[in-house]
Amino acid sequence: MTTHVYLSLIPEALVASMLDPADFGLYYAIGSAKRARGQAIFFSVNRDLLSSTDFELDDLDARCAPHVDGRPKMSVYLSIYRVLEKVPLDALTALHLATDDGRVLTLAPAPYVADGEDRTHLYQEFCPTTPRIVTQLDPAEFTTFITNTKQAIHVPRIVFAELTLGALKSDPDSTDVENLPYPNIGHLRDCLRQLAAGPDKPTKTVMRQMTQEVLFRTIRNGFFVGDATGIASFPMPSHDTLEREHLAWWRSAQSTFGH
Amino acid sequence: MPVWFWIVPIASIAALGAARYFFRQMMRESEGTPTMAKIAAHVRSGALAYLKQQYKVVGIVLVSLTAVFCVLAYVLHMQNPWVPFAFLTGGLFSALAGFIGMRTATYASARTANAARDSLNHGLRVAFRSGAVMGLVVVGLGLLDIAVWFFVLTRFYSVDDSRDVVIVTTTMLTFGMGAAVQSLFARVGGGIFTKAADVGADLVGKIEAGIPEDDARNPATIADNVGDNVGDVAGMGADLYESYVGVILASAALGAAAYFHAGADVQLRAVIAPMVIGALGTLLSIVGVFLVRTNEGATSRQLLGSLARGVNGSAVLIAVASIGVLTLMEVPNLWGTWLALVVGLLTGITIGRAAEYFTSQAYGPTQRIGVSAKTGPATVIIAGLGEGMMSVAIPVLAIVTGTALAYFFGSGYAFTTDTMGAGLYGIGLAAVGMLSTLGITLATDAYGPIADNAGGNAEMSGLPPEVRERTDALDALGNTTAATGKGFAIGSAALTGIALLASYLEEVKIGIEHVLERGRDFVFPDGTLVPTDGANWLQDLSLMDMMTHFQVVLINPKVVLGMFTGAMLAFVFSGLTMKAVGRAAGMMVDEVRRQFREIPGIMAGTAEPDYARCVAISTRAAQREMMLPSILAIAAPVVMGMVFGVPGVLGLLAGGAVTGFSLSMFMANSGGAWDNAKKYIEEGHHGGKGSESHKAAVIGDTVGDPFKDTSGPSLNILVKLMSMEAIVVAGVTVAIHLL
Repeated sequence: MTTHVYLSLIPEALVASMLDPADFGLYYAIGSAKRARGQAIFFSVNRDLLSSTDFELDDLDARCAPHVDGRPKMSVYLSIYRVLEKVPLDALTALHLATDDGRVLTLAPAPYVADGEDRTHLYQEFCPTTPRIVTQLDPAEFTTFITNTKQAIHVPRIVFAELTLGALKSDPDSTDVENLPYPNIGHLRDCLRQLAAGPDKPTKTVMRQMTQEVLFRTIRNGFFVGDATGIASFPMPSHDTLEREHLAWWRSAQSTFGH
Repeated sequence: MPVWFWIVPIASIAALGAARYFFRQMMRESEGTPTMAKIAAHVRSGALAYLKQQYKVVGIVLVSLTAVFCVLAYVLHMQNPWVPFAFLTGGLFSALAGFIGMRTATYASARTANAARDSLNHGLRVAFRSGAVMGLVVVGLGLLDIAVWFFVLTRFYSVDDSRDVVIVTTTMLTFGMGAAVQSLFARVGGGIFTKAADVGADLVGKIEAGIPEDDARNPATIADNVGDNVGDVAGMGADLYESYVGVILASAALGAAAYFHAGADVQLRAVIAPMVIGALGTLLSIVGVFLVRTNEGATSRQLLGSLARGVNGSAVLIAVASIGVLTLMEVPNLWGTWLALVVGLLTGITIGRAAEYFTSQAYGPTQRIGVSAKTGPATVIIAGLGEGMMSVAIPVLAIVTGTALAYFFGSGYAFTTDTMGAGLYGIGLAAVGMLSTLGITLATDAYGPIADNAGGNAEMSGLPPEVRERTDALDALGNTTAATGKGFAIGSAALTGIALLASYLEEVKIGIEHVLERGRDFVFPDGTLVPTDGANWLQDLSLMDMMTHFQVVLINPKVVLGMFTGAMLAFVFSGLTMKAVGRAAGMMVDEVRRQFREIPGIMAGTAEPDYARCVAISTRAAQREMMLPSILAIAAPVVMGMVFGVPGVLGLLAGGAVTGFSLSMFMANSGGAWDNAKKYIEEGHHGGKGSESHKAAVIGDTVGDPFKDTSGPSLNILVKLMSMEAIVVAGVTVAIHLL
C-alpha cells in the first residue's frame, strides 16, 4: 500500500494516509462511522519535495503502516499549525474537494491565466486565515499583495477561491441577486460600493471568518494558492461539466445545508 | 330493466378491458438496466409487503363490522338484510382497486425511466397510461359493483314499485360505507407510511448526513419510494373509488326520493341517470387517454397542455354527449339536470385551478412564502399558514355557488323548499358531473407518483443527464396534477357530504319502518306519533317534514352540540394523524442513524443499507398509528346517534363536513405551497440552494409534509365515512338513543 501525504486546509494539517484521495476524502468527511460530517479541502503533496527540516519524514513509512488486521492506516498527523507556509508550491500536485457526505472531486493544477478585464472580485480565503473579502485585485495581484512582507498585514502563503458575484460585479445596487446564497447581502453591497468609491483601498473585508461550509456552486474560476514567488491555479470545471461528468459529487455539493 | 342501464356494465367492462390493455402494453416495455430493475424490485416488494399487512388489519375490521351488521340485520332486525354483504363488497372492491393501481405503479416506474431514455413523449406515454390503469380500474370496478348490486337487488325488489326503488337505492348506499372504511385505512395508513419514510429520510439522510435526495446510500430511500405508491396511488385510488361510488349512489337515492310520486318509470330514470352519466364519462375518459401525447423537447407548459387536452377533451365530450343521452333517456327536468351536471364539472375545475394557483411556484401565494424565507423559518411557517387559510376562500365559494346553482337547476329553476328533493338531486348530479371524468383525472393523479418514482430510479441508477431532465420534467408536471386531483377529491367530498345528508333522512325513514314492523309505535322528538300502521303516512313526509319532526333547528342543543362535536372531530383527527407521523418519523430517524452507525461501508457505497427494515418500520408504525384515528371516525356517528339521536347525528355530519372541508383545503394547500416554495428557492430565488432562505424553506416543507399528504387528504374520508356510517346505522340510531 502506498503512503500518501495530504495537506488539509480545514483544519490546517499535514497528514499521511494509506488511503487514496477518494477514500481519504470520504474518511475525512464522515469519519470511520457516520457519526459526524463536514467538508474537507486538501491537497495531494509530493513528499519528495518536502523539507526534512520542517517535517519528520524519515520514519513515515513505519508510522503509517497497516493495522495488525491488515486494514490500511487512515491518518497519521505529521504537523499542525503553520503547515502551508512550509510546503513548497510545486509539491502541491492536486486539490481535492470532499463534500460533507464524502464525495470527492479532484482538481488538477493548470497554468494561471489573468483576466485583465475583471476588476471586482470576491475571494474566500481558506488558509492560513479565513476571511471573505472583496477586492479590485486579480488573483495573482491579490496573492502578491497579501504575501508582501513589507506590509503590516501579510501571510507567507495563501489558499483562496474566487466566489461568484453575479450581477453585483458590475452593479453593487443590482436587484438581480436571486441566486446568491451569501448571508447579509446588504453588507456585501456596502463593501462593493466602498471598493468602487475608494480606489486607494484595494481590499475590503466582508466577513472576518467562514461561518458556514463552502457552497461549491458559488466557486468561480477555481482555487488559487500562492506566495511572493508565484501562484498555482486549480480551475473548477463548469457547472455543465460537473453535471455531466461528476454527477454524484455535483448532486452532493448542491444538497449541502452549509452547516 | 331499462335498456339504458346496460351501458353501466358495458362501460365497466370497457374500462377494465382498457386498463388491462394499458397494463399489458406497459409490461411489454423494458425495465432497463439490471440496476433499474433491482431498484424497482425493492420498491415493489416493499409496497406489496405493506399492502399485505394493511389488508390483514382492514380484513379483520371489515369482517368484524360485517358480523355486527349481521347481528343488527338478522337478530335485532334493525337493518336491511342486504347491508352486511353490500358493506363487505364495497370494502373488497375498494381494496382491489388500490391493489391493482399500486401494483401497476410499481411496475411502471422503472419502465417510465427507461422509456425516458428513448424520448420525453415515450416516458410520458408509459407513465400516463400506467396511471390510466389506476383511473380505469377504479371507475370500472365502481361501475361493476353498482351494476351487479342494482341487477341483483332488482331481482328481489320490483322496479315498478316506487317504495322498492327507494329501498334498493338506500341499500346500495351501504356498500359505500365498506369502501369508506377501507379507504380510511388506506389513506390514513398510507399517509402515515409515506410521510414517516419521507421525513425520516430527509431529516437524517439529507440534513444530518448531507446525502442528496433519492440517493441509494440512504436506508430510507426505498421506503420513501414505497410510500409514494402506498399513499399517493393506493390511498388516493381507494379514496376516489369511495367518492365515485358514493356520489353515484347518493344521487340515485336522492333521485328515488325526489321523484317518488312521479311514477315508477320517471323515478327509475332519475335513479339510473347518475349511473349512465358515470358510464358515459368512463367511455369518454378512455378516449381522453388516447389524446395525451407530446413532442420531444416539450416545455412543462406543453406537457401540462398535453394532459389538459386529455382531461378537458373528456370533460367537453361528456358535457356535449350527456345532452343527447339525457334527452334519449327522457329524464325529468332535462335541461335542469344537464345544467346541474355542467355546474359540477365547472366547480371541480374551479377548485382544481384554485389549488394550482395557491400551490404552484408560478403564482403569487407560493412566491410570497419564498420571500418570507429570507427572514427565517418562523416567517415561512406564518406565511404558509396564512396563504393556506386564504386558499380556503375560493373552493368554499365555488362549492357555495355550485351547490346553489345545482339546487336551482335541479329543482326546476326555483329556490324553494317545495322542490327540495329535486334540488338535492341536482346537487348530487353536480357531484356526479364533477367525478364523471374520474377515469382520466385519476390517471393524472396516479401518473404523479409514477413519474416521481421514475425520477428516483433514474437518479439511483445514474442515468445520463438528459434522461434525468426528462424524468424531472415529468415529475414536476406530476406535482401540479396531484394538487389539482386533490382539489377534485376534496370538492367531491363536500358535495357528496351535502347529498348524503338528504340520503340519511331517507334511511332514517326506513329505520322508523323497521321499528313499526316490529310492532312498536314511533314517537318523533316533537311528540308526533307514528302508529304501527303509519308507514304510508311516513313515506309521504318530505325532507322538511322530517327536519321539523326531528326538531333539526339551530336552537335545538342536540344539533348545536353535534355540530361542535363534528368540528372538533376534524381537528382531533388531524391532530392524531399529525402526531402519528411525528412518532413514526422519529422511529425512522433512529433506524437510519443506527444503520449509518452499525453498517460500515454504507457511505462509501461498499455496503447496501437494510432497506427492508426501514420499510418494515414504516409499515408497522402505519398499522399501529392508523387504528386510533380510524376507530374515532367509525365510533363517532354511532356514539352521537346513541346519545343525541337523529338531530345530534345531523349536527355532527354538518359540523364535520363544513369544518373538515375547510380544514382539508387549508392543510392540503399550505403543505403544497410550502413544498413548492422550497422548490422555488431551489430554482435560484432568494439565495438558491444552500442559502439561509433555503434552510428556512426546507423546514416549512417538512412541516407541510404531513399537512398535505396525511391529515389533509384523510379528512375527506372522515367526512364521507361519517356520513356513510350514519346512513348504515340509521336504524340503530332511530331505535336506540338516550336523549
